[in-house]
Amino acid sequence: MDANALIQSIAQSSDRQAFVKLFDHFAPRVKALLMRQGTPADLAEELAQETLLMVWRKAALFDPSRAGASTWIAAIARNLRIDAARREKRSRLPDVFEILQGEEPEQPDQVLDGSERDSRVRAALTSLSPDQLRVVQLAFMEGLSHQDVAKRLSIPLGTVKSRLRLAMARMRGSLEDLR
Amino acid sequence: MSMSRRPSDETLAAFAAGRLDEGLALVVAAHVEVNRETRRDLAEIEALSGALLDSIEPEPMAADARTLSVALPHRGIELPPRPAAPPDAAGLHVLAPYTLGRWKSVGRGVALRRVEVPYSDTRVFMLRAQPGTRLPAHRHTGAEWTTIVAGAYEHEYGRYAAGDFDEADDRHAHTPMVDPVEGCTCIVALTGNVRFEGVVGRLLQPFVRL
Repeated sequence: MDANALIQSIAQSSDRQAFVKLFDHFAPRVKALLMRQGTPADLAEELAQETLLMVWRKAALFDPSRAGASTWIAAIARNLRIDAARREKRSRLPDVFEILQGEEPEQPDQVLDGSERDSRVRAALTSLSPDQLRVVQLAFMEGLSHQDVAKRLSIPLGTVKSRLRLAMARMRGSLEDLR
Repeated sequence: MSMSRRPSDETLAAFAAGRLDEGLALVVAAHVEVNRETRRDLAEIEALSGALLDSIEPEPMAADARTLSVALPHRGIELPPRPAAPPDAAGLHVLAPYTLGRWKSVGRGVALRRVEVPYSDTRVFMLRAQPGTRLPAHRHTGAEWTTIVAGAYEHEYGRYAAGDFDEADDRHAHTPMVDPVEGCTCIVALTGNVRFEGVVGRLLQPFVRL
């Protein structure tokens, strides 16, 4: 499945088939992601639907040179989660993230391809040991502090830090020529 | 005490996951806006979130995509215009969603402007200091995060210039000295209590409501 192409097809021709394919792939993953981050199942289901509806509505704004499909969709899900969690408290952070997304790319003189970055990061992830991957998931997917990762896994803080350092070094190494 | 002038991976990860207090997050966002390297780091951390989304074990959905697709609207949404930076706010676009107070002089070459972040336990304000000003010595019980937007200051832990991020914690007191030529404009978030010392400090104290 080429998710970038599916989103572009929605943008160009309101392609409902493309929507169905994207939904079947991403909605169950967004739901799982939200549940891992502590969102109750019912709300996660609702937000996963909303995320994919947002993909439909915002398809024309998708720019694969900035970020690949998965990264873009993860950011939409994050914004909806913040919105839902702080509905009465009217957090403006989702707006702030939108504004940052509209910023100039970090290296305007160079073609920095977000989709290329995505696939390299994905490859770097698969090269991690299960122990390293677990720490990366807790720190970056669930956004836990290093202290909380250590508690959750019952391992020393130093081990958390060294595993993350190695994982980040591997990821950044794979992106060296894009940086 | 780290001498880094950019947020740690841990801070950026919490920011990217939406787990930081809104006031602290806003100061990080201001830094992301003015610092290209951190923008790149954030893009990489977001790419990591994307890759983790791909690799996650899916959770079955109750909704059916085919049913939903029938009810989809015909048109998407237009590109929203990027909101302008509020006037006289050092060009920071990330402040656009917030209500800003007026610049108020607190004397001795220092002016402050409150940034209203409702429901946050953090106090956020912009600070503008004339060249050569010595900012009041102060001690923390919480965190003080600063993004320098223009000019520079220097304190016991080094020189911080436009684009830098200064993450101070409760372990020290400091007395920043503003650049003698350029002055300094920054955005600051404070958690916990701060106790200022000296004359300007006494003027600042009521402003930061401590």
